[in-house]
Amino acid sequence: MSTQGHESDGSGEDKVLVGEYALGLLDAAEHERMARRIAAEPALRAELQLWRSQLSGLDAEFREEPPPPRVLEQLEARLFGTAARHRSGLWDSLALWRSLAAGGIAVAAVAVGFNVMQPPPIDPTQFATQLVAAIKAQEGFGVEFVALYNAATGEVRLTGLSGQAIPDKDYELWYIKGDEPAVSMGVIPVDQRSEIELDPQARSKFAPGTVLAVTLEQKGGSPTGVAQGPVVALGTATPI
Amino acid sequence: MNSPGTEISELLARTALRDRAAFRTLYGRTSAKLFGVVLRILRDRSEAEEALQEVYVKIWQRADRYVAGSYSPISWLVAVARNHCLDRLRARKPLADELDAALEVADKAPDPEQSAVAGSERSRIETCLGALDADKADAVRGAYLDGYSYDELAERHSVPLNTMRTWLRRSLLKLRECLSA
Repeated sequence: MSTQGHESDGSGEDKVLVGEYALGLLDAAEHERMARRIAAEPALRAELQLWRSQLSGLDAEFREEPPPPRVLEQLEARLFGTAARHRSGLWDSLALWRSLAAGGIAVAAVAVGFNVMQPPPIDPTQFATQLVAAIKAQEGFGVEFVALYNAATGEVRLTGLSGQAIPDKDYELWYIKGDEPAVSMGVIPVDQRSEIELDPQARSKFAPGTVLAVTLEQKGGSPTGVAQGPVVALGTATPI
Repeated sequence: MNSPGTEISELLARTALRDRAAFRTLYGRTSAKLFGVVLRILRDRSEAEEALQEVYVKIWQRADRYVAGSYSPISWLVAVARNHCLDRLRARKPLADELDAALEVADKAPDPEQSAVAGSERSRIETCLGALDADKADAVRGAYLDGYSYDELAERHSVPLNTMRTWLRRSLLKLRECLSA
């Protein structure tokens, strides 16, 4: 019998188990157990990432096959039509999502540290109503922010982590709640801290899972209220 | 900025902004690939059509979770599709016999975690599979590309289930060593 510790020790046993997990060879109970371990152990997440990125080298062998047009029609009816929306199965790939989000967690941790350095809040329960979003750069753009939302004051505090101002352009911040279109929160500076006070409607939308995005727009921001420029950074609000 | 990957990455970001037109374009660019994935794994056209819809529902809901740079965007989409199919397969199977996770697998010196250099994955995995016995490499491919379970692999290779497990687990260890070598 080999020992099955709670923490990964980088053993061959764990590497093989993660490989089996990535290939989908574990049965439902084993798979579930492994998903929980992977969510809890960064070493296993790194291992999973390695397996997945390596195995994806085989993806070229999946032959393309155009689906019939009815699939898109039904899909759009399902997502955007009046029919009840399906939300089941959302968490099926929890481990995948978590492993992909792992990069964001480090930035969130920085934000928490940053927050601790601020003057202490008067009301300690404020901690329970704070959200943080690590707004990570999209490929090709080096712009990153951390956003901290304090529900008690309705204020979003924004700190640029990297990126630089571009002549004749402005960065614009958006929030996205559920399936509703992005709503502008205004133009933001990239090289200094800024604070945005949310109106009551926006406050009601801010919750764990709200997505924050930054786009590069013409000077003064998008004139139409709809994002026009490229999305340079994205992140999801999580409670801290 | 102009590679197809970047374009898909931008479409994903747009999708996260709830841009329906971008989502439709994303579907146009990627659905043939993802349909190929679900069809191959589920092996049933009508089930594959339903699964494809569910996959794109997930993509719509989770586009913001794609972290650019950690994975090529098309690989990420393939992984969403593939994992969704495997979840379906697992759900339709009766609870499989208990897997003895404590199968003895030789434990070699731990490898340092190394991420693959982008773009070299294909040759790396092919090279490492090539270093395995042909039937074992075949079993690994079957698990990844066809979603075969241990039962199906054992049947296809005409070996007892436990033999297949031992085989494949040893092969995975070898493969893993090669992948990070």
